[in-house]
Amino acid sequence: MKIKNIGFWVGIAIFGTLVILAIFAPWITHQDPIAQDLVNTLLKPNSHHLLGTDQLGRDVLTRLIYGIRTDLVIGVLAVLFPFIFGTFLGLVTGWYGGWFDVLIMRIVDITIAFPFYVLAIALSLVFGAGAKAIIITITVVGWVAYCRIVRAGVLVTKELDYIHAAKLSGLPTFRILRRHVFPNVISQAIVFSMSDIVLSILAIVTLTFLGLGIPSPTPEWGLMIQEGQAYILQSWWIPFIPGFMVVIVGFSLSLIGDGFVRRFAK
Amino acid sequence: MSNPLLVVDDLHVDIHTSRGLLKAIRGVSFEVTAGEALGIVGESGSGKSITLKAILDLLPNNATITRGEIIVDGVNVLSLPASKRRTVLAKKFGIVFQDAISALNPVLSVGDQIMEVPRYRLGYSKDKAKAKALELMNLVGIPEAEKRLKSYPHQLSGGLRQRVAIALALAGEPKMLFCDEPTTALDVTIQAQVLRLLIDLRRREQMGLIFVTHDLAVINEVCESLQVMYGGRIVEKGSVQETYADPQHPYTFSLLKSVPDPDIPVERLFSIAGEAPDLTKPVAGCPFAPRCFAATSECQTTEPNLSRAGNGEAACLRIGSFKAGLTGIKGAGT
Repeated sequence: MKIKNIGFWVGIAIFGTLVILAIFAPWITHQDPIAQDLVNTLLKPNSHHLLGTDQLGRDVLTRLIYGIRTDLVIGVLAVLFPFIFGTFLGLVTGWYGGWFDVLIMRIVDITIAFPFYVLAIALSLVFGAGAKAIIITITVVGWVAYCRIVRAGVLVTKELDYIHAAKLSGLPTFRILRRHVFPNVISQAIVFSMSDIVLSILAIVTLTFLGLGIPSPTPEWGLMIQEGQAYILQSWWIPFIPGFMVVIVGFSLSLIGDGFVRRFAK
Repeated sequence: MSNPLLVVDDLHVDIHTSRGLLKAIRGVSFEVTAGEALGIVGESGSGKSITLKAILDLLPNNATITRGEIIVDGVNVLSLPASKRRTVLAKKFGIVFQDAISALNPVLSVGDQIMEVPRYRLGYSKDKAKAKALELMNLVGIPEAEKRLKSYPHQLSGGLRQRVAIALALAGEPKMLFCDEPTTALDVTIQAQVLRLLIDLRRREQMGLIFVTHDLAVINEVCESLQVMYGGRIVEKGSVQETYADPQHPYTFSLLKSVPDPDIPVERLFSIAGEAPDLTKPVAGCPFAPRCFAATSECQTTEPNLSRAGNGEAACLRIGSFKAGLTGIKGAGT
């Protein structure tokens, strides 16, 4: 029983550690993530700077830890909004069908056909660079997946006998949707959201790397990779470690997602 | 006899399939009085389940009622707006399905599901709803009801699940219970228990039953009237006893013939050759004619309507005369 779900708990442990690091960042490292020290730039790892310093003399480890805050918060928000929005639309379109369903599904098709980064660049021009623009961009694109997943689930579920029985028993439609349909379709959306957080963090990092995301000097992994790439020959760890952190986050969330799949499949 | 609780008049249902328009129900009419137990028999695709779904407003999106009337306790439900229709149906009818696994919501406990209708439709308080749920669970013979309230469907055996499903159907205090092959998925001993429960419930609660199945023996145990469906129409109506003793339609005759009698040794079991008609194509003549042992050339072109036959009705051009040619059929003639 425990052994079957070991991956899930490893994922929880890694992700939990990152969350704790983010919450208690000021107690874990006493340095300021944006304080410059132009005398001590590009130091090698030493006892005071465990991962050295960057080109402006900022402590790399401190920026890395504060970066968890930036990336996880935006990553989670950029999944939460599409999750809520897409799930709602998926429930409505799947249950009622009709012209509204056709309309929403065509919008879904158009959204999917649109190249994400082109849209992201266009939207960041409208909303300006920063967390807000990223969250809006990912929401505009991301709801589509949840809408489709939930809609497909509703289409299957609504023909099941217990939904028929609930309909015939005269319960209000809202109650049938909330108590009988929603809990039975949401698990797939939750599983998908786990891997979606990884994708959205990747999108944040990528957009920031392209200069469309989080503006300097905010501690953010994509920004660290972008600024660090110029020094990759002398201090390879400056761009490498933030990139590695993205991998770790992705790994832990995948494990959690897999664990969910197994739990729900029971 | 009191006024009929349910009148179905000239019901037509079309289903839009990838193969074209399927005329699933082609003019079905019948009446059921309160407290009556009616069995509807037919093979897959005969339209028995669609009839039931059409009455209960549970047709899938691709199916539509194109003609006919459904009158429940004097109210023509098809003329009502959807929400109103559901209220009328909910007050009178309950349904039990074939597959008790998909008939229960897997994420809610048994108690929560049974309590839902008393609480949210009948307006009971939480305690009263719980008492009602326990009463229903006792009524359908679920042991340790108090403990089972908190169980989830997957923790119960197939027989118990079907009992829960019956309790669920009774929660709205229906006047008539629709049973869509409720015992088909159960093994034989459990099947007998569930049937006994339904017969019992009927007697105690004065509740009507509409029993859809392809199992003739089950109908014999539970129902007193019978109608046989074939190709989207009713081909024979009558009392169970009389129809079984003296079927008036060749299809009913063949159906009864194909039930093996354990007392009579036979080399080969009787079966009806061919397969059910494809209702996406127009039916010329009697739908059963291609498989009928007594079909004449007239049967291929003229579709018969229900008319008096014996003490019931049958839709056959050769009522009364089809048995004349039976000597040629092996094992025929009771």
